[in-house]
Amino acid sequence: MKANTIKDIFVDGSITPQEIAESIAQHATKKNIGAHSIFLGQVRADEKTEGVVQAIEYTTYKDMALEQMHMIREALFEKYELTCMHVYHSLGIVPAGEISLFVFVSAVHRKAAIAACTELVEAIKFQLPVWGKEILVNQNTVWKENH
Amino acid sequence: MNILFFGNLVDITQKAQEALSGTTNTQTLQALLCKKYPALQSVKYFIAVNGKMIQENTPLKEDDTVALMPPFSGG
Repeated sequence: MKANTIKDIFVDGSITPQEIAESIAQHATKKNIGAHSIFLGQVRADEKTEGVVQAIEYTTYKDMALEQMHMIREALFEKYELTCMHVYHSLGIVPAGEISLFVFVSAVHRKAAIAACTELVEAIKFQLPVWGKEILVNQNTVWKENH
Repeated sequence: MNILFFGNLVDITQKAQEALSGTTNTQTLQALLCKKYPALQSVKYFIAVNGKMIQENTPLKEDDTVALMPPFSGG
């Protein structure tokens, strides 16, 4: 099920629980899958010295991000026995409490699904040219940092 | 060439892109940009030429796209 074409991973605004449910439902026909590993990133209402975070605004260098994502995907398919892999990342404003990252990795067995999912999330955080600007309740902004 | 700015660099340059000419490598481009936007000297950023990250001084052509990118913070 290796995908060789560059896929768009970006969605406008938050990712809804309905979209996540539908994505899971779409895998019902793939009966060789025995394990799904899902990661959901949610915008946190961090209390900073500058104020409380009410939303994050995401921007990207899209061409580069999609090419980078393609390489990450190919490398993980090489390394692990996977059935399929889906990544959705928000762009624009996502309010606190809503989902901005949905990573969905499926495999025949759980170990590959879980390991690949963990590795994929780390790669997304540190290798994709995406930036988050935290918008505070007082309307000030702070650039997000990944640790 | 086309210069792209991302993340907090946009706060410094007040623009997402800019056309520049007359520089032949990334080192002279950086010097030029630092002169124009002194605050760039105090922030960390990576450089990509035509979508590929570079670590060393790289020759530039007029039709290249150079991206200045602060550390990534997606997810």
